[in-house]
Amino acid sequence: MPQNRKKLIDLFIGNLSNVIVHEIMEEATESEEIASHYKKEVENSLGISRKYRSKINPTTAILSEKDAEYIKKKLINKVKSKLKERISDGYENIDLNLIEELANKYLKESKIS
Amino acid sequence: MEIISKISKGTKMDQIYIPKNRPGLDIGTYVKIIPIEETIIKRPYFYNIKEIEPIKLELVNKIFNIIETSITYENIIISGSFLEKGFSFNDIDVLLIKNEKLNEKGLQAKLENQLKIEMHLIHMTEGEFRKALVIDPIWRLVTNKCMAIKRIPPLPTPKLNYKYLDLQQLKSELLIINFDYSSGNEKYKWTRNLMAIYLFIKNKKLTKENIEKEIERKFNLKIEDIKNNIVEKEFLRKYKEFYKKFEKEIIKNAAKQEKIN
Repeated sequence: MPQNRKKLIDLFIGNLSNVIVHEIMEEATESEEIASHYKKEVENSLGISRKYRSKINPTTAILSEKDAEYIKKKLINKVKSKLKERISDGYENIDLNLIEELANKYLKESKIS
Repeated sequence: MEIISKISKGTKMDQIYIPKNRPGLDIGTYVKIIPIEETIIKRPYFYNIKEIEPIKLELVNKIFNIIETSITYENIIISGSFLEKGFSFNDIDVLLIKNEKLNEKGLQAKLENQLKIEMHLIHMTEGEFRKALVIDPIWRLVTNKCMAIKRIPPLPTPKLNYKYLDLQQLKSELLIINFDYSSGNEKYKWTRNLMAIYLFIKNKKLTKENIEKEIERKFNLKIEDIKNNIVEKEFLRKYKEFYKKFEKEIIKNAAKQEKIN
C-alpha cells in the first residue's frame, strides 16, 4: 500500500471511528434530546471521512476484499478501545453490539465494502 | 382602490378574505396580488454586542419577519460568527424556540430562498433550551453573545453532567486526527469546544474572550495563529497532552457520577 494511500485510509478510519463512538455514546446519555442538536457536527465529521474516502482509489467502486477487511478490523478495534476505556471505568448502557452494525452501515455507504 | 388583507390557510386552496361591502373590485375582476413591504419592525434584544453593521441588522430583521409571518414561536435567537465584526461568516445560526412541532427543513429552505444566505436553523422547545443551558457549555456560550426577538431569561445554575460532557469533548479529538489536513477555522472550532468544556467544569464564566484567553495561555500562542493555520507541531503535542488528561478526568468523573445515580 503506498504511503499516501495508507495515510488517507488512516484518516478515513480515524474520522469514522469518531462518528461511531459519538453515535453509540449519544444513545447512552440521558440527555439524548439535547445531544441530538449537534447533528450538524457529527455530519461534519462524516463529511470529513467522506472527503478522505473520495481520494482513496478506486474512488467509485468498492475496495478490494483485503483493503475492506483491513479497514473494518481497524475501525472496529479503534471504536472498541475508546468505548472499553469508558466501560472499564464504570460507564453503563454502552451497547458494544452496535459497533459492527454501525461500521457495516458506514462502510457500505462509503463504498468500502 | 387598494385593500390590505392577509392570506389565510384553506383546506384545498389558501385564500384572501376581503369585505363584501367595498367600493370597486367587483366579482370577476382580475386582481394582482403582491406582498406589502415588511412592516413588522421590532427592536431585538442585544446580548454583549457592542456594535453591528447596519446591513446585518437589516438581515436579522428580515429573518425575524419571515419567521414571524410563517409560524408562531416562543423566541428567535441569532448567534455565531455572523455577529462577529466583518463578513467572514459561512452561515447564520438561528435558534428557534417553539414548543410545538416544526418543519425545520421547510422553514430553513424558505429563509434561504428568500435571503439567499445559508442558514443553520435549530429548533428546540423551551424545556430543551433550558436543559441545554443547564448542562451544555456551548449553549451557554451561544446566549452570551446573541440577538433575540424576546428577552432571554437569566442563565440557570449550571449542572455538571460528565457523561454528556464526555460526548461533547469527543468532537475536539478531531483536531488530533486531522491536524495536518484541517483548516485554521476547524482547528479553532475544535480547540474552542475543548476549552469551553474545561472552563465550564472549572465554573468559570463562558465568554468568547475568556475562552480565547485560556487557549492562548494554555498553548502559549495567539488565537490568530490557529485561525490562520500557522500552528506548529508543538501546539499539537500540547493539545494532545491536555486532551488526553482532560478526557481521563471526565471519564473518571462520569463513571463516579453514574455510580452515585
